[in-house]
Amino acid sequence: MGLRLLVMKFGGSCLTDGDSILRAAELVRDAFNRGDGIVAVVSAMKGVTDRLLNMVEGSLRGEDVREEIESLRADHVEATRRAVGDVEVRGEVERIVTTTISELERVLTAIGYLEEVTPRSRDYILSFGERLSTPILWGAIRSQGLKASWMTGGEAGIVTDSNFGEARPLMENTRLRVEAKLKPLLEKGIIPVVTGFIGEDLDRVVTTLGRGGSDYTATLIGEVLGADEIYLWTDVEGLMTADPRIVPEARIIEEISFEEAVEMAVFGAKRMHPRALVPAMRAGIPVVIKSLRRPEVRGTRITGEVKIGEGVVKAVTLVRGVGLLNVQGLRMIGMPGVAGRVCQLLGRKGINIFMISQSVSEANISLMISKDRLYQAESLIENALLGTGLISDVYVEEDVCVVAVVGAGMRGTPGVAARVFKAVASRGINVRMIAQGSSELNISFVVKEEDGEEAVRAIHQEFNLSGKT
Amino acid sequence: MGFGVVGRALARLLLEEGERLAKRRGFRPIVVGVADSLGAAYDEGGLDMLEVLGAKERYGTVSKSSSGVRGMTGLELLGTVYADVVVEVTPTNLGDGEPGLTHIREALKSGMSVVTSNKGPLALAMPALMELARHRGAVLRFSGTVGGGTPVLDYGRRLSAGDYIEGVEGILNGTTNYILTRMTEGLEFQEALREAQERGYAERDPSMDLEGLDSACKLVIMANYVLGLKATLRDVEVKGIGGVTREEVAEAYHRDYAVKLVASIREDKLKVEPREVPRRSPLCVWGVLNAVTFKCRRLGEQTVVGRGAGGVETALSIIRDLAEVKRNLSGSLGGWA
Ligand SMILES: NC(=O)c1ccc[n+]([C@@H]2O[C@H](COP(=O)([O-])OP(=O)(O)OC[C@H]3O[C@@H](n4cnc5c(N)ncnc54)[C@H](OP(=O)(O)O)[C@@H]3O)[C@@H](O)[C@H]2O)c1
Repeated sequence: MGLRLLVMKFGGSCLTDGDSILRAAELVRDAFNRGDGIVAVVSAMKGVTDRLLNMVEGSLRGEDVREEIESLRADHVEATRRAVGDVEVRGEVERIVTTTISELERVLTAIGYLEEVTPRSRDYILSFGERLSTPILWGAIRSQGLKASWMTGGEAGIVTDSNFGEARPLMENTRLRVEAKLKPLLEKGIIPVVTGFIGEDLDRVVTTLGRGGSDYTATLIGEVLGADEIYLWTDVEGLMTADPRIVPEARIIEEISFEEAVEMAVFGAKRMHPRALVPAMRAGIPVVIKSLRRPEVRGTRITGEVKIGEGVVKAVTLVRGVGLLNVQGLRMIGMPGVAGRVCQLLGRKGINIFMISQSVSEANISLMISKDRLYQAESLIENALLGTGLISDVYVEEDVCVVAVVGAGMRGTPGVAARVFKAVASRGINVRMIAQGSSELNISFVVKEEDGEEAVRAIHQEFNLSGKT
Repeated sequence: MGFGVVGRALARLLLEEGERLAKRRGFRPIVVGVADSLGAAYDEGGLDMLEVLGAKERYGTVSKSSSGVRGMTGLELLGTVYADVVVEVTPTNLGDGEPGLTHIREALKSGMSVVTSNKGPLALAMPALMELARHRGAVLRFSGTVGGGTPVLDYGRRLSAGDYIEGVEGILNGTTNYILTRMTEGLEFQEALREAQERGYAERDPSMDLEGLDSACKLVIMANYVLGLKATLRDVEVKGIGGVTREEVAEAYHRDYAVKLVASIREDKLKVEPREVPRRSPLCVWGVLNAVTFKCRRLGEQTVVGRGAGGVETALSIIRDLAEVKRNLSGSLGGWA
């Protein structure tokens, strides 16, 4: 084993074709030749997971999806040709791709017959994306003259509960198995190439890790093996001070703390799920986000240290796809139980509440919820509480968005909130709601959807996040 | 699983005490399967244990009894008969924990509770096994692994539920304590060891005891169960009594100290090493006795002293655990008691 141990995860967004897989293999090779031990974690190639889901839907409707399957096969064979130089290895990978595809075909046919897909078989089908991409990177790495061994997340030792679609790892069993499986390989200088996103339950049935997916696989393995660094290779050059489509002068954040990154992930940094950061945070292992296309760019380094010197505000994000659920009640005053009931009802249905605000004087609770669950939430509350005399009205507002200002330096720096709201007000934007009780690492508030981008620009400028003087 | 010293002592105890247990405590364990290294015997309606004991004595294996199957492994037995609880008492193996580790893992995986005196699987994988039990709503108990018949683990756990335990020190291995005691009385190490073996205190291969590994296993179990640490054997710094000389022991004695193989946890660090203990300290016990001192923040030091393990003591602790499992199952409290 090398002096350092790196986990390198290649995200689906950057695995677009054979050339990108070849680039990934070269990065692994370079790191290995520097003397580092490497574990590679691989996502499905770009768009493949969605294609698989479409095939499931198609099969359920009784459609013939053979054409889609064939094009999936062709794409992976083509990627193999470009990524794997060694003829013999290429043959091996192509055979794996072919067998895997015929297995997929069988499962989809079965679904067509049964006209039903269980969460369990959905997870199984989703796993094919990674099971197709991973052998290609494995072949590409071996073509570079290195020793490698590919395996599914389950085979690597990730054990989960049987909560299909969003399985949670049994940490201690995972720790034991992953160590037993990967350590001996690493000691022999073999590079484990592991499918991201998937694990298996105690009965060895394939599960998927759901949100956080492959990043989560990488940080889990990193934690368990005590890695020195975890690299998340993707199609962006790092986390940015704001979405560059909104703020053209936005720039890459070079260093950020876990706490701040989690806030950013919660509030809209779409490519990362906060839960994926937890294992790395727990173990204090730095996570580096880098671009596969431009590896020379430093990217963003997420660490346990908080550097406040860089300015109080690190980033400003815009969360769309959310809506407000307003619950109004005559008798809510002095009845704090209602807020609890509402949260409990939504929680039981797995509806996440991003923000909550309760104004006692107006006898009103406002909840920020994902837009696709908004109407479900409304009827849930309506059915349970309207007519009980507790509340008088429930209604939704769809045309809203959340602006979140993130930075550890806000803690203990007076006047930041005032500056934020002044900047927004100066552009004539009305703030609809301010989050209560959120951490001191962020200030988040709700504005009309059409005002969102302008609010982001206002704050970006106020705190000079582009770094211009 | 396993029908050696402990397994047989348990069988006999159940035969002798069965009626009393049923009457007094409403607790009537029925043995539906037994495995040893050569085969197994099973009967879902309950084995005739007198007959099984007889077969083991006469032919060396339970598979020669009337319900026996030659060559059936413990794992196969687990897949064949349903049991509420699996008692795992195969030999301790600190290499890979087998066969006990597989027995315990498979039992918990299928939702059966487990009672064991086998330290190997726990020392190597206790956090994972506890997690498994919790996940499957089964109970895992192991009070016979530390302190023999003295319920020292539960004593410590009770303490830590109220007070905060800052450290633990213990003399956890009867064999080495006997040897060190006899060395204090003037014997050379080799003589003391031979005597311990003759008296049946030490195994024919005493290396696990002498190298401190037995104490280390017990310390790991204590760290997990009492202090809630997630430790395994690898986290223990171990030194055995091999290097201790008679002169050292005598010299310490004259200063009112005694050399003991002390297992300790301090600031979450696990350590086993020969160390001097003041002779007046309650921890300073002699012969095959064991002692554990819990250092509590508010209650101060609490020391439990007891006889080390033997077959009967261990079998008793297993009955205690079985009763505990029953209590848990009838209260349908899943998880880890
Ligand atoms: N004895 C004590 O005082 C004491 C105290 C505390 C803890 N313990 C622990 O309790 C456990 C049992 O101790 P013990 O003294 O009873 O040991 P033992 O006398 O050596 O008995 C071990 C039993 O396990 C059986 N066995 C071995 N391999 C097996 C396999 N693969 N499948 C099924 N059965 C297998 C043996 O079969 P055969 O009969 O065919 O050989 C034997 O019946 C050990 O882990 C020990 O460390 C013992």
